[in-house]
Amino acid sequence: MKHWLGKILVLPLALSLVLVLGMGLGQARSLDQIISAGVLRVGVNPTLPPLGLFNEKNEIVGFDTEFAAEIAKKLGVKLEIVKVGSPDRIPFVATDKIDFVMGAMTRTSERAKTIDFTAPVHTEIMGVLTTQAKPYKNWKDLNTSEVSFVQVRGTTAVPFLEKNLPKAKVMLLDNYPDVIRALAQGRADAMIDVLDFMKIHMDTHKQTKWKILDTPITVYYCCLGVSKGNQSLKDWLNVAIFELHRDGVIDGIWEKWFYGPMLHKIKWSDWF
Amino acid sequence: MNYTIHFNLIWKYVPDLLQGAVLSFQIAILAFLGGMIIGLVGASIKIFGGGVLRGAVHAYVSFFMNTPQLVQIYFFFFALPQAGILLSPYQAVLVGMTLNAGAYLTEIQRAGFLSVHKAELEAAETLGMSLPQTIWYVIFPHICKVLFPPLSNHYIIMTLGTSMAAIFGVEELTGRAFNVNAITFRSIEVFIVTAGIYVGITILASAILVFAGRWLFRVKGKVF
Repeated sequence: MKHWLGKILVLPLALSLVLVLGMGLGQARSLDQIISAGVLRVGVNPTLPPLGLFNEKNEIVGFDTEFAAEIAKKLGVKLEIVKVGSPDRIPFVATDKIDFVMGAMTRTSERAKTIDFTAPVHTEIMGVLTTQAKPYKNWKDLNTSEVSFVQVRGTTAVPFLEKNLPKAKVMLLDNYPDVIRALAQGRADAMIDVLDFMKIHMDTHKQTKWKILDTPITVYYCCLGVSKGNQSLKDWLNVAIFELHRDGVIDGIWEKWFYGPMLHKIKWSDWF
Repeated sequence: MNYTIHFNLIWKYVPDLLQGAVLSFQIAILAFLGGMIIGLVGASIKIFGGGVLRGAVHAYVSFFMNTPQLVQIYFFFFALPQAGILLSPYQAVLVGMTLNAGAYLTEIQRAGFLSVHKAELEAAETLGMSLPQTIWYVIFPHICKVLFPPLSNHYIIMTLGTSMAAIFGVEELTGRAFNVNAITFRSIEVFIVTAGIYVGITILASAILVFAGRWLFRVKGKVF
């Protein structure tokens, strides 16, 4: 009896999966619909301090939240911050649970097949964090099988390593605190990540003698992620981002949360 | 609909995912076999052992059954280095999962021990068998047969539980799925394919268990 029962159960499960997918993929809200609804929903990842983090009241604060508040203010609507994580942030945009997603959304041509990117909001300078005990001077010294990196799973540094330092070993962990702890415990020699973020992480393991190699590697441009084809929202956001750059609002928020200027400033132009 | 499902954009990553699936399968099998041995010893001590040993097994079982497996592996991975013991990600996950499985399998096998008829144990005693001989020749074959369904279930749960290893830098199926997702942003397609592979490996494991059961212990079971 067990066997046909199993098959009968599989059928509705498969059907409901199809239904959930079909219904979940709602139409993304256009700019007009957001204005009519009076609420802008923005996805922020709270595990990326100081872009997004929880404060003592368990609210999501940080650069992303404050930037989103400026956008909502310009649009004249209320802001609703929605917590997103690395694996679910794209489904959140695709199924219209949020209007756009933040959280260091580095633009790549591969990702742009799936969602649309606005003009860049901020940059990330990639650099090498290691300890003073290690002899490395330049990031190109690290392309040997004796070097092991520890990286956060799902960050843009991982494909970069595979391409540019293919001989080095790589261990992927879940989040920044785990990666920094692994580095402090000597599980790996170095990490490649955003120099702008490193100061905060270095402060959490003060007894470790850290070293940042002063050859920056590359610049990544982080944008807002908008549902594919939502032209009306993207066009308006690009104008708003231009104004926030020109008026120094983005730099102001950045310096408040990062305790210093953006390492690679975005040069706004007349043609935004 | 602003999201078009394109499975063809992730096909090239499927071989990579399948390699991860092999690793998931391997971790589950090793941890299960290790857990079975710990469980057999633990159950024997719980039934036949004396005060101190029994207390120790009891403490081990309650600790591992009442704390989350994730926290246990965190302990092996991040706390032990402070004491100078540096386990690799694979070792930490394997040790954590084996000890966790050992605790559950101790309890499952203890139930099996209790299901053996007293007359059989008395017969073994009459034949002059020592306690280890009785456990190995009389009780173990018996509990394998009686416990085949719950043991198989636990094995399947463990196979799915290997996804936790992704957090600790083991490149098994879930970890690789997250990697592909980060590169392509094709979350829906990637996780549908990954779920499909998990269904595949659990069906494969069930099939192996059913045939092993029929061949070794003459237990009748069906894959579906």
